[in-house]
Amino acid sequence: MDLNSIQTQIEGDLAKIVSLPVLEEVRVKYLGRKGLIAELTGSIPGLPVEQRGILGKQVNALKNKLLGLLEEKEKTLKTKDSVLKKSNLDVGMPGIAQELGHIHPITQIIDEICTIFNRMGFSVVQGPEVETEYNNFTGLNIPLEHPSRDAFDTFYLKDYSKLLLRSHTSPVQVRAMKTQKPPLAIVVPGRVYRPDAVDASHLFMFHQIEGFLVDKNIRFSDLKGILELFAQSVFGQDIRMRFRPHFFPFTEPSAEVDISCIICKGRGCSVCGRKGWLEILGAGMIHPNVFTQVGYEHKIYTGFAFGMGVERIAMLKYGVNDIRLFFENDLRFLRQF
Amino acid sequence: MKVTYSWLKNFVDIKISPQELAEKLTMAGLEVVALEKTEEDFVLEIEVTSNRPDWLSVLGIAREVSVITGSKLKTVNFQEPKIKPKDLWPIKISVSNKQDCPFYSARVICDLRVGPSPKWLKDRLESLGCRSVNNIVDITNYCLFELGQPLHTFDLDKLSQKEIRVRRANADEKIITIDGVTRLLGPEILVIADTHKPVAIAGIMGGKETEVTLSTRNILLESAVFNPVLVRRAKQKLGLQSESAYRFERGVDLEAVRNASLAAQELILKLASGKPSGFASLGASKLIHPVINLDVAYLNKLLGTAIPVLKVKQILNRLGLHVKTKTRNILTVKVPGFRQDLKLPVDLVEEVARIYGYAQIPQTLPAVKPGRKVLDKRDSICGIKNILSGLGLYEVITYSLVDRDLLKKSGINTDAGLIEILNPLSKEQEVLRPALFPSLIRALAHNLDQQQERVSIFEIANVFSGQVNAVAEEPLLGIALCGVNAFFTKQGLVRDEITLLHLKGILETLFNRLGVKGFDFARQEDNKINIIINQKQVGFMLDLTPQILGAFDIKNRQVALAQVNLEKLFDGINLGKKFLHIPKYPAITRDISFAINEDIPVKGLLVAIEAKGAPLLDQAKIVDYYQGKQIPDGFRGLTISCIYRVDSRTLTEEEIASVHNDICSLLEERFGIKLRIA
Repeated sequence: MDLNSIQTQIEGDLAKIVSLPVLEEVRVKYLGRKGLIAELTGSIPGLPVEQRGILGKQVNALKNKLLGLLEEKEKTLKTKDSVLKKSNLDVGMPGIAQELGHIHPITQIIDEICTIFNRMGFSVVQGPEVETEYNNFTGLNIPLEHPSRDAFDTFYLKDYSKLLLRSHTSPVQVRAMKTQKPPLAIVVPGRVYRPDAVDASHLFMFHQIEGFLVDKNIRFSDLKGILELFAQSVFGQDIRMRFRPHFFPFTEPSAEVDISCIICKGRGCSVCGRKGWLEILGAGMIHPNVFTQVGYEHKIYTGFAFGMGVERIAMLKYGVNDIRLFFENDLRFLRQF
Repeated sequence: MKVTYSWLKNFVDIKISPQELAEKLTMAGLEVVALEKTEEDFVLEIEVTSNRPDWLSVLGIAREVSVITGSKLKTVNFQEPKIKPKDLWPIKISVSNKQDCPFYSARVICDLRVGPSPKWLKDRLESLGCRSVNNIVDITNYCLFELGQPLHTFDLDKLSQKEIRVRRANADEKIITIDGVTRLLGPEILVIADTHKPVAIAGIMGGKETEVTLSTRNILLESAVFNPVLVRRAKQKLGLQSESAYRFERGVDLEAVRNASLAAQELILKLASGKPSGFASLGASKLIHPVINLDVAYLNKLLGTAIPVLKVKQILNRLGLHVKTKTRNILTVKVPGFRQDLKLPVDLVEEVARIYGYAQIPQTLPAVKPGRKVLDKRDSICGIKNILSGLGLYEVITYSLVDRDLLKKSGINTDAGLIEILNPLSKEQEVLRPALFPSLIRALAHNLDQQQERVSIFEIANVFSGQVNAVAEEPLLGIALCGVNAFFTKQGLVRDEITLLHLKGILETLFNRLGVKGFDFARQEDNKINIIINQKQVGFMLDLTPQILGAFDIKNRQVALAQVNLEKLFDGINLGKKFLHIPKYPAITRDISFAINEDIPVKGLLVAIEAKGAPLLDQAKIVDYYQGKQIPDGFRGLTISCIYRVDSRTLTEEEIASVHNDICSLLEERFGIKLRIA
């Protein structure tokens, strides 16, 4: 029998083995004291001298090969056995993991909105919460003694004349335009303050996101396009949008922007006051007087601006019915976001 | 502003339903916020923006209805009646400053009968929420709502010398207004006076003494224009709101003043008889009508539309503007008195867009030129929030405005240096906060009240401090921890009370993750621990004192608190990464366990070990500690791992044996430690 066919036979035997005792039998059959290898080794002294060396080497190689195959098979069988062992794990027991914390829902909404505008090429800029009367009003074409100011009731500081808590994020428009040349594509998130009586939908502090784009040839149609992209990104692609004419001193033409009610899909429900529409932001083309205030040539540049209340968006998106919940910081509330 | 469907129909034929009308008005910028059905009519409540005083009347809204429905507006121009000379009453008017009162007119009606109003008049006023008083007062209110011109009637016989003087009030002058309140006036307030005393606060409210009552026989009917800013200031100073003031501060149409006066007279003669007995006025009754040139190409460029010139012209015409074609694309637009809001070409663009329909304007996307992205503070703050929430902390947002009591309870001196709010609505808005932690303690206490076992919260927000003529805003990170971390292990639940060391661990992880090098924690005399980065203090951490815990009603709990100045932390942030090769040669680790007097700071110990073990010792670190059974009181059981490794080769046992012995001797000799297992 030549050694090659022996090896083939051994490999065949090994392939059939399914348990450790049978493996042991095969091991004895080939490697035992009376096994095939011992028999072959025993036959060597009877051979002609010139053949002894050759066969000795070949038998040795076969023995090593066989040892390797047996070891490998043993490993395979052992692992197979352990896998087959029945587990006593009850997967109904609680999983073990490090508990994560939570980022405030308002921060999450701000981040989400900023990311959407980042993708469209807008940069995020922030400004101070204590502002000058000029940046908050005059620079934005809001006359100090006109009823248009009533919409921007403002906290003033006692020992600092002309300083106030910004009542909107729009002063950052003035700041940005006074320090940078167009084109500008900016969004501004931040805290704003208004002396409003507190109830389920009003607070004296809340968050706004302001956005503005200034360049040559920016059109009202661009504002419509950008805002629809935004609304559908936040509320889903089935959202419809409508622009209603409105008045803001710092934009002309101005609009209030509604989305179709996300609760009733526009059929009318208690959330939208049976109107089917939800107001989510104010917007318009930046007023030429604002450009004049910041030193931009309004014959060359046009731009749009928009602003929205972050709490309002969060309340609509998450179905929160009382704005005060955002600032009570109850962990049972925060844990849901 | 409320109007009724039937009242509008007096001025314009409406063929659409009230619901459809409401929808159309809303989409033209007159948002109908409520549509209410009454017995025989519909009441539309319209939110009128502050730029459109002309919409504060039924006529004004009817004009808009005619524009959007295409029906013609029906208006009446009244004529001055002929008065027999014997009935003519001499009226004396003086206006001290034309700026204060550009136009004043007075009309006298004699021998009238004051009494209740007829039902139709009462009903109309009541549907707008206006209480009926008597026929004369009701007629002036009716004209105000219908035409937008506030009117006032005086009992002529109660005016001393039957004279009208429009002047500023003197200091300390007083008036009792028709609501019965005595009001202190002053030189910034414009009044209508007779020869003796103020009889009305101009444009805001009349005086009690001269009001029209059931016994009134002769009246003086005022129809005038007052300076809007003056009316606004007076109204704010007196804290007095009225339908008149609301319209005057927004601006009334000077050219409609006389017609309103005539309309009121017509109704008075009809409902209260009487005879017209004279009219006098002071000031210009005509305006210069501004002319605006509108380039239709500019209009279409700004809107992103292609509205034909003809269409633009048609819309402007329907709005009551006088339009002429100057060149092919340029229109010359003359603005009537009731549209003083129109000043610039862009104002006309809005008018055209509004009537053309915002919905008809297409949607396009602009070519945004994105700026270069640089990592800024906001990115760092986002990063910090992510790391902290990953460590199990909850982000909170608390008010920047706080009450003094909260600060006092937190141990902050409130006597000086605080930035006060001039006009807070409540005590909770007294001051801008100088620190974050008081609000955090309050949020924490709230949650403990709600039976939360673990409260780990943080906030990133600005705090405020006063400078010379300026206010500094400083972003801070505040962390507050309290309660028990309960978590599962394979052996079951482990409950771990949160301490300052947990807080330190959070800060270390945060700093390491932000690439901050050279940070340290140093205990102060007062148990406060300074947080230090590159030898500079960036914040502190501490356990709340029993006094503060008591003030917040926190019982049987420890609260660990940290406050970090973010600007200073930002200086230490280094997000640049540099790869260090993974050690090629294995390390040999030797543990040393012993008990050490707890007064000996372990940091000194580790520094000494590392100095002694250099250069073969790569690192010495605490891998276990224990206090309790088997460890004497005042001692702490410690296990320190000494990790020996060099970059050039595999160390042998023999090489490290002598170094390790040196370290053990050092511990025994310098720190007096008896080694448990060497």
